[in-house]
Amino acid sequence: MSIQEQYRSRAKELLGEGSVKMVIGYGVGTTATRRRPIFITSPDETDRLVLDASCRTNLAGYLLREGLLADQKSIAVFLLPDGVRALNILAAESQLATAQIVVLGFEIKGEEVKPLEGTAAGDFSAIIAERKEQRKAQPSHEMAVKLEEMTPAERFAFWEKEFSRCIKCYACRAACPMCWCRRCVVDNNQPQWVNTSSHTLGNLEWNLVRAFHLAGRCVECGNCSEACPVNIPLHLLNGRMTDEVLTAFDHYPGADEQQEPVLASFRKDDPETFIL
Amino acid sequence: MAKIGVFVCHCGENIAAKVDCTKLVAAMEGHPGVAIAHEYKYFCSEPGQESIKKAVAEYGLTGVIVAACSPRMHEATFRTACAEAGLNPYLCEIANIREQCSWVHNDGEQATRKAIEITRSLVEKVKRNNELQPIEVPVTRRALVIGGGIAGIQAALDIANAGGEVVLVEREASLGGHMAQLSETFPTLDCSQCIMTPRMVEAARHPKIRLLTYSEIEKVEGFIGNFNVTVRQKARFVDMNLCTGCGECMQKCPAKKISGEFDCGLANRTAIYTPFAQAVPNKPVIDSEHCIFFKNGKCKACQRVCPTDAINFEMEDELVELEIGAIVVATGFQVQNTALYGEYGYGRYPDVLTGLQFERLASASGPTGGKITRPSDGKEPETIVFIQCAGSRDPSKGIAYCSKICCMYTAKHAMLYRHKNHDGNSRIFYMDIRAAGKGYDEFTRRAIEEDGAGYVRGRVSKLWQENGKLMVRGADTLLGRPVEVAADMVVLATAMVPQPDSKELGKTLGIGYDEYGFFNEAHLKLRPVETATAGIFLAGACQSPKDIPDSVAQASACASKVLALFSRDKLEREPVIAQNNEATCSGCWGCVLACPYNAIEKKDLTDRSGNLIRRVASVNAGLCQGCGTCVTFCRSNSIDLAGFTEKQIFAEVMGL
Ligand SMILES: Cc1cc2nc3c(=O)[nH]c(=O)nc-3n(C[C@H](O)[C@H](O)[C@H](O)COP(=O)(O)OP(=O)(O)OC[C@H]3O[C@@H](n4cnc5c(N)ncnc54)[C@H](O)[C@@H]3O)c2cc1C
Ligand code: SF4
Ligand code: SF4
Ligand code: SF4
Ligand code: SF4
Repeated sequence: MSIQEQYRSRAKELLGEGSVKMVIGYGVGTTATRRRPIFITSPDETDRLVLDASCRTNLAGYLLREGLLADQKSIAVFLLPDGVRALNILAAESQLATAQIVVLGFEIKGEEVKPLEGTAAGDFSAIIAERKEQRKAQPSHEMAVKLEEMTPAERFAFWEKEFSRCIKCYACRAACPMCWCRRCVVDNNQPQWVNTSSHTLGNLEWNLVRAFHLAGRCVECGNCSEACPVNIPLHLLNGRMTDEVLTAFDHYPGADEQQEPVLASFRKDDPETFIL
Repeated sequence: MAKIGVFVCHCGENIAAKVDCTKLVAAMEGHPGVAIAHEYKYFCSEPGQESIKKAVAEYGLTGVIVAACSPRMHEATFRTACAEAGLNPYLCEIANIREQCSWVHNDGEQATRKAIEITRSLVEKVKRNNELQPIEVPVTRRALVIGGGIAGIQAALDIANAGGEVVLVEREASLGGHMAQLSETFPTLDCSQCIMTPRMVEAARHPKIRLLTYSEIEKVEGFIGNFNVTVRQKARFVDMNLCTGCGECMQKCPAKKISGEFDCGLANRTAIYTPFAQAVPNKPVIDSEHCIFFKNGKCKACQRVCPTDAINFEMEDELVELEIGAIVVATGFQVQNTALYGEYGYGRYPDVLTGLQFERLASASGPTGGKITRPSDGKEPETIVFIQCAGSRDPSKGIAYCSKICCMYTAKHAMLYRHKNHDGNSRIFYMDIRAAGKGYDEFTRRAIEEDGAGYVRGRVSKLWQENGKLMVRGADTLLGRPVEVAADMVVLATAMVPQPDSKELGKTLGIGYDEYGFFNEAHLKLRPVETATAGIFLAGACQSPKDIPDSVAQASACASKVLALFSRDKLEREPVIAQNNEATCSGCWGCVLACPYNAIEKKDLTDRSGNLIRRVASVNAGLCQGCGTCVTFCRSNSIDLAGFTEKQIFAEVMGL
């Protein structure tokens, strides 16, 4: 049985026996390699589910649709390891309870899709720990290395140029599973700290504020960059914050659901290199 | 419509010499919302304050800006003046044009421009200020004193004698600290234990003092007047209620070869022990690390002989919860580990000692009964070399400061040596003699003139053993030639360093410390006993190297601060507290975790029939200290700080 078939029948089983009320997974999109999220509530529809190497979107954010989890019923969701990390963060930040979520975990190696053992968020700790070590050993992107090699002036110029294209559509925010605030700080106009018009200053403010708000929380799933209509490599910026918390505080975002927010917690052995 | 009054103070020449105050007034007069702008030589003076009060009434001002010195100096003065004139004090703000402007700039024109900007931004803020009412909080009239050395005991006794309740926490098995280890004390040469032990007994017996020995601070929460402290009482394995202190157990304990801390390794102790004969409380503890029963599961000799059945091997640590109004930190110091000084041979040669070890040798209650003899062979030394500043004032070894007491105790040691060994020769290598203190210089002169202390100005470069002697080579910089002394004993005046865990304790208490780990006072000159955390005070050598008179004086100063606090029924607190916007809060509890005072609670939002809709953060006004940590944490800007709201700060920034 192909992996897609395995997961389809697993979904059918879950819905059939009534242990979940919905399965959030991937369906066909507008092109051969595009996948769109689908929300299946009946066992008869599970053959609409697609699972292949194009299923790269992090679906964790859809769980937070207002009221979806309010009835305490369970939902199954297809998640890559980074998606499980996102789930852990959402639980750590009290936005959901993992007990309500059945994880249909998988990973993509090259072009091959592989199943992952486990159903609860906590079952994936081994692979997450492995990814942490990998992440420590090497940066996530070639471009990230190039950026580090630049002088601060060059780097600033790079980002200024990238951000100059931003049209403030907030697609990045909509796509990011971590952007769940009831009211985003940019939508606060009393006072308007972040300029909403899409000129250099406003764009810079917006993108930097978002990066800071993702410090220690971004799981580097890439949803934001994928969503951006003008192809700003946002994951590079947010990933840079991940480097920072990883080296300074050994904090790998979403390592487990007990993880405390790195910027709100305090340990006695935290480095104090910033205190002069 | 806003009617703001701007009052520009010259502060004599302090401001007026750099800032063109007339120009500043003119600039403010034209600013929207400003009803009047005045200048005056000293607004903090009686007539100055009166003129502000008059203006408030006359023009019906809705806000006041005093452009003057730092708000730390006179904010309270001007807010009180406004309140007396019927204006809510929180509608008065200070524009700091002295510390942040006139004092730090040379160019008058630029300084004037900056003063205009600073004042204007405050005008924009004050237009959006709201009336606030002060918050009252109760005061728990119970003090916690951490550390039972002379400083801690003094502070505890002073507070208790004035009627305050005290909990005195000491981490060792007995009170006393270093003073209990000393022989005789400079500058009067009175026996240290003779003056110390009565204090220890008085503290232990005092009805207002609760003594917790063998205990450490586990957790501190809350704030001035209302701390919640958890103390860990370590398992003693001896029931304090049953034990009579007879000491049978110590006689019988077969683990006898344990290097005794109190005698600095010069004598051994047993596994069940009291640190010294006059220990308070005089009840032993079992050192589970060395106890044979804890190591091998067999022995219990002590339990068999104990006539009152006080020994209990099952005892566990206990956590004691305390409600506390004020905290005195008196955790003292340690002597520096001399292993750093390989060239002085400490640890390699048994007759190279630290000053503290010498105190034990000279002490009548010490391992030799007060006879100064060599640890290696028990012989009386004919020559002793003392090396001052062994660690202190040596930035290359990491200690730049002067330990302050070593000059004095070295002179004392030379004297004690001569008093006990009449033919003894002492040679003291020193850099300077620092004998500032009442009777101190006279004391060192006495050592030289009457007790033959031989001072050599210079450093020791090398120390080695030859024919049973310790050879000390150094330079005599006054004569400009090398010297070599054949000594029988060498005493190092090692540096006074903070307790090794002082930084940890500082973090637990939320008080600052310097690069070494000595605790920081709020202001070195004007607030030397307060810390920057309200309600926490410092006494003794935990703040900086100190001798006994200084430690005691600071301890009594702490007591007076604590008693001043306890003299009040309620503390009036600034109403600068956080407020949460329930509509936008997502209930992530980041603020709950970030709040250092545990002031944020989780609140249920329910519909009319009581069904839970969401849970949101809610600030407890009694606990919130207005630190603003939560405000900076909340990503959705759901929390605001009264008196410093986002709108006010934004207006202030935009006013620049
Ligand atoms: C060799 C030598 C000779 C000296 N001779 C003289 C002299 O002749 N005359 C003179 O005036 N001064 C002398 N001094 C200085 C004197 O010892 C100090 O001034 C004095 O001991 C300081 O008292 P203290 O209470 O601040 O600290 P300490 O005596 O160090 O007492 C601190 C107490 O706090 C306890 N403690 C530490 N940490 C904790 C914690 N976390 N929790 C609970 N309890 C804790 C310790 O166990 C200790 O009992 C001498 C010092 C030395 C080293
Ligand atoms: S910032 Fe981008 S990469 Fe990071 S979690 Fe959000 S969507 Fe994923
Ligand atoms: S998705 Fe791209 S264009 Fe849209 S707001 Fe984000 S960065 Fe700007
Ligand atoms: S940090 Fe902000 S959103 Fe989160 S609980 Fe606190 S107030 Fe609410
Ligand atoms: S301002 Fe916020 S973080 Fe600070 S004490 Fe108040 S509630 Fe806690």
